[in-house]
Amino acid sequence: MDSLVIQNVRPFVNGRFDGLCSMALVNGNWVAEAPQDAPVFDANGALAIPALFALGVDFQEPMRDDVYTFEKGFKAMHLGGFYGALYESSANPIDDIQRLSALKQAFSASPLEMKILASFSKNYKCSQLSEMLELSRYGVVGFGDGNLLNATTRFLRLSMEYGSMTGKRFFFLPLDLSLRCAGSVHEGAVSDMLGMKGIPRIAETIVVHTILETALFLGQSVHLKQITCAESLKLIEIARQRGLDVTCDVSLYHLLFDDENLLDLHSHFYLIPPLRSKADKEALWNGIKNGLIDAISCNHKPVLTQEKQVNFEDATPGALSLEVALPAIWKPLVSAVGESRAIELLSMNPAKIALATPQKLSLGSPANLVILHPEKKTLVQASHFAGAVQNSPLLGAELPAAIEASYLYGAWTQV
Amino acid sequence: MSALEIKHLFGLRGVSKSDISTILDTASEFRQVLERPVKKVPSLRGLTVVNLFFENSTRTRTSFELAEKRLSADTVNFSSSASSVKKGESLLDTLQNIEAMKIDLVVVRHQGTGVPRFLAKNSKAIIVNAGDGANEHPTQALLDMLTIQQHLGSLKNKRVTIIGDIRHSRVARSNLWGLTTMGAKVTLCSPSTLTPRNTQFFEGAFWETNLRKAVTDADVVMSLRLQKERMEDSLLPSMREYRNYFGITGELLEHANPSALIMHPGPINRGVELDSEMADSKHSVILEQVTNGVAVRMAVLFLLSGGRHG
Repeated sequence: MDSLVIQNVRPFVNGRFDGLCSMALVNGNWVAEAPQDAPVFDANGALAIPALFALGVDFQEPMRDDVYTFEKGFKAMHLGGFYGALYESSANPIDDIQRLSALKQAFSASPLEMKILASFSKNYKCSQLSEMLELSRYGVVGFGDGNLLNATTRFLRLSMEYGSMTGKRFFFLPLDLSLRCAGSVHEGAVSDMLGMKGIPRIAETIVVHTILETALFLGQSVHLKQITCAESLKLIEIARQRGLDVTCDVSLYHLLFDDENLLDLHSHFYLIPPLRSKADKEALWNGIKNGLIDAISCNHKPVLTQEKQVNFEDATPGALSLEVALPAIWKPLVSAVGESRAIELLSMNPAKIALATPQKLSLGSPANLVILHPEKKTLVQASHFAGAVQNSPLLGAELPAAIEASYLYGAWTQV
Repeated sequence: MSALEIKHLFGLRGVSKSDISTILDTASEFRQVLERPVKKVPSLRGLTVVNLFFENSTRTRTSFELAEKRLSADTVNFSSSASSVKKGESLLDTLQNIEAMKIDLVVVRHQGTGVPRFLAKNSKAIIVNAGDGANEHPTQALLDMLTIQQHLGSLKNKRVTIIGDIRHSRVARSNLWGLTTMGAKVTLCSPSTLTPRNTQFFEGAFWETNLRKAVTDADVVMSLRLQKERMEDSLLPSMREYRNYFGITGELLEHANPSALIMHPGPINRGVELDSEMADSKHSVILEQVTNGVAVRMAVLFLLSGGRHG
């Protein structure tokens, strides 16, 4: 659609939502006037929010196109109002130029701003460094562990030390695999009650400490993915006071759920890192409020239906989120920190961390936006998801807001 | 006895400008001896030199051996692989047994930092370091300096860029100490995993991880040998990336001084740290370094054993 007029909409401009107005959109830009024959969409008082940026996106392509495809992933981003994402493939470690070129080629099919996280080791095995100088030169925005940090402390040091030449950030999911062992849920009252093997908080905090100490020693900037507890946030706070450039995110679902949601053992709640206790969830909300947490991540990971239709401990962890993230989190987030900070956490800060172009709405400029109605509800059904899988803990839930449409790089998608 | 301020040659850190100048001047004279039909002088006649090599070495040992023979010394070779060290003998016992055979000079190479000093403390012999761990390789640096001096006239204010595994290189350290003492400007360039992290004692050195910046306007580009073990140790991802970002190529050399010298302590990994055409180009003085090695070692042995320059 080349041009469009959105009527009765409240755009987020200069740090706040304006009163009701009309927005004329032409070829991806917000302009003063649209052609007279431009179609009109009545937003009925909905909000026009600068489009969002997703941290932690993995379509499982190209190794697992039986699960999901890039096309489905891009569609999910349009449905959820995400103009860009930081992509880190667990199935296809980007550890050389050939793999990087193939991925860039796949991303070139969409105008969405897809940023790539390369692996700092070959095949995520943490035994041989990847060619980080070359990968950086050809456009990766950072180096990650594929959410499987299997490194000795020495290898961790060497990878950060070598990677420091690129000036790019390192991204880690802090989880000690030996302490995780066969655990699938948080080690706490719920796991003990259910007799399930648990993953203790120290599986995270020990690794957070090791990463932060190593990064401080080397002066290397790092990002910690999906922090789950207060103890980790304390370590991050101290590292910042000591001068480290450390950013962190919290997963959408760790703000919405805790381990008491596991009581009926629905495999859609099987996430790694695990959902922790109510007190941990509260601590994460405090981190959101006091600014310790920089961003809310999506960690969008499609999982085959048959890999979820098994008993909890045998399921594959992971959840879809792009299509439902905004309506699920918007209201609780705004009520905790206000609209401006909410947009920082969902759009501005994730984009900064991923070296992407930050979005803002301003007349006469390119406009990527999502129309969200805060007074409407969304009943999450299978049809809400772009692909053939629906592995979200929100499936069947009623969300307190509703996405009406998105406008990304000139493409209008009505939900 | 020594004609120098130093009595042994442990390294170049702390060695005076005057001593280095004397060694280089004497080496220049021995260099001329090496061009004669009869390449031998009687300077060390009657003295016995032991080449005590605990690490594999072909070039350095051959060079020392030739230097000793050119000076008419009696020479004995000792290598740890074919000796009592294999049977568990301690370093001190090895030394004392060799010394009991009435030797005068010991040329030692060992994988441990400080071994030449340890030998000097426990022996009356004159000790010459032929490489101790990653600490120093003073005769290599001296021969490098002699080569530069021969081509560029003087070391003062010359811009020397050393590229490679600085963290583990005794050649880089000795060159840094020696060259800065003589007034050269030394830039060290290496991947960050091969760069020393604490450089407060590397006075006078400029550090750079960007190779192009490091060689810009350089008078000398010295490449170090890259050991394949560095890949196995996870210090580098691949030979390919090393070559692409730290290898000396013709394109890179366009940023250096047009008459820049290319140096390498050998043996070269062609196509890794140094492209083959660069190693064989008109800029390359690598074979001259080898020849100068004999002259420098002659000068060191000669001066430490009391010979006077001139």
